[in-house]
Amino acid sequence: MKKALITGITGQDGSYLTELLLSQDYEVHGLIRRASTFNTHRIEHIYRDPHNGHDLNLFLHYGDLANTGNLVDLIYSVKPDEVYHLAAQSHVRVSFDLPEYTGDVTGLGTLRILEAIRKSGKKTKFYQASSSEMFGSAKPPQNENTVFQPQSPYAAAKLYAYWVTRNYREGYGIFASNGILFNHESPRRGETFVTRKITRALAAIKAGKQDTLYLGNLEAKRDWGYAPDYVAAMWKMLQHDTPGDFVVGTGEAHSVRDFLDEAFGYVNLDWHDYVKIDPRYFRPTEVDYLLADMTKMQKEIGWEARVYFKDLVRIMVDADLELIGLDCPGEGRKILETHHGRWHRWEDQISSMEGNH
Amino acid sequence: MTKALILGIDGQDGSYLSEFLLGKGYEVIGWIPISIPVNLENIHHILPTITLVEGDLGNQESLDNCMEESLPDEIYNLASPSSPVASWNSPVMVADITATGVVRLLEAMRKFVPEARFYQASSSELFGTPVEVPQSETTTFQPRNPYGIAKLFAHWMTVNYRQNYGLFTVSGILFNHESPRRGMQFVTRKITRRVAEIKLGLAGDLLLGNLDARRDWGYAGDYIKAMWMMLQHENPDDFVIGTGETHSVREFCQIAFESVGLDYQDYVSVDPRFYRPVEEAQLVSNPTKANQALGWKPEVDFTALVQMMVDADLESLKI
Repeated sequence: MKKALITGITGQDGSYLTELLLSQDYEVHGLIRRASTFNTHRIEHIYRDPHNGHDLNLFLHYGDLANTGNLVDLIYSVKPDEVYHLAAQSHVRVSFDLPEYTGDVTGLGTLRILEAIRKSGKKTKFYQASSSEMFGSAKPPQNENTVFQPQSPYAAAKLYAYWVTRNYREGYGIFASNGILFNHESPRRGETFVTRKITRALAAIKAGKQDTLYLGNLEAKRDWGYAPDYVAAMWKMLQHDTPGDFVVGTGEAHSVRDFLDEAFGYVNLDWHDYVKIDPRYFRPTEVDYLLADMTKMQKEIGWEARVYFKDLVRIMVDADLELIGLDCPGEGRKILETHHGRWHRWEDQISSMEGNH
Repeated sequence: MTKALILGIDGQDGSYLSEFLLGKGYEVIGWIPISIPVNLENIHHILPTITLVEGDLGNQESLDNCMEESLPDEIYNLASPSSPVASWNSPVMVADITATGVVRLLEAMRKFVPEARFYQASSSELFGTPVEVPQSETTTFQPRNPYGIAKLFAHWMTVNYRQNYGLFTVSGILFNHESPRRGMQFVTRKITRRVAEIKLGLAGDLLLGNLDARRDWGYAGDYIKAMWMMLQHENPDDFVIGTGETHSVREFCQIAFESVGLDYQDYVSVDPRFYRPVEEAQLVSNPTKANQALGWKPEVDFTALVQMMVDADLESLKI
């Protein structure tokens, strides 16, 4: 039985990855922070799921990315075959307010884990969650050879982690891969991210609980994919013959305005009636156009997205409508049943969403 | 009176910069790390004319206090454990000071002295295995060791604080610069020190790594002027500083031994232990932008630099 260690297991990607790996008969270990708020709602359904019976192979460990010794102990005791490093201070806007913390956790956290793997002397494979934000103002489409132009403390910290990952691969021969993931969303996306902010507000508007949605820049273009597709890409990268750096995206870019059109249109509303622009949401240095060129990923790994923009919006809107207790049109729900039969179930979506606690 | 805060004042660059700024009538405040024993040899002669403050780049409060109390007009961040090879052994410590430390420093500046001007000591290590030769401000970065990676993060944060908050922050991408005050762990100083010892009969041979490794070596005394010029420039910007030419370790040995009437081939042997885990390709600067925008040019050439270093080492060993 393979063993995987996931940092950031309580996040959007960590929770989906846990479901995927459990379905592949992995023993899954997760690193969680000892925090004053217990923040495990995205994985609690896994414990409750009767399919998992009494032999649930999921173990949580308290740990701290700011502490090397603690990570060394964990790697020594778990002896994972694969480490998926997903934990980070992952909010771009927040990184401007917490640059030191972001650098320490998002940047140096990766270094501390790689050091722990190196010291353990075990042939552990390592996945680094790199981000398209590292491209910053670089001209789209972006691929593995695009020059990085980080525009935020978050992007600079992620770029630091990217280089450390390459460095440990090239300098020490560790199987360490960078997945440069473009934006990926889902019903489990945190409420502060623009996509979820929109679908959540949309549901509240439908339910008559809200009448205005404040947003920042509507023109920023992003390559938005569906998070469960992307965790499959992470897993495939570590099953590949050789480690490397891979861009993961859908190859389509849409603006926030497009997202509003699609989401409100799906439930026959006009967003112009509800959306107001608040300049406070503008980022000091805005990344305006991210679009993945995923030729390498398709060729070398044989991965491509199953859910594209329109379907993604439908899944998220359906889920938020259900969460708030309304009937949903159901197109998104149907898409999920077609594309992700075995490990990724609709019923787990709603119970695991942020806001459902 | 203009006030300069120099972090890493005890080092080669910090000491030359202090002398230079004192000569221009600056008030100089030297920041030294509280947690590490500091060798004050390089600044011993100017101690009566400067103020020293102790602090910790690992601690935000310490930097906040330093800024609030000293209120500098210019800040030069030269503090860093600057050995790329050693960074493989203690990468986390290096990153906390070299990478995150700069964020703490920029935050302290933003909070207490946003009108000050900030110089970040970047280095040619950012280019690692360079994607083009020579390297300029537009060359893609490709760092190859934990030190270079930490320096790259610091560089981007310096750029970020300029773009984001409009602070006057500059990143000087300096190629190797040497002097009689260079640390003994660097190959140039290792050579000139040993040449002096051999000449005086205190040592018999010299073990080195790759003799054909080539570097763009300049004189530190020239380079600290470039730092100052960057902060006097009308706009904050990033500049590559170097000589634009390379020489091999072998040539360095040749000139160093010749300057005391010896043949390097009689003394130098190669020890593979001194090879770096990832050996860089050719690093050479294109300092055109600094030449044109700042009017900066190196004044001491390669041969003069080597001789200056050998002479100084001979002098210091003679009793």
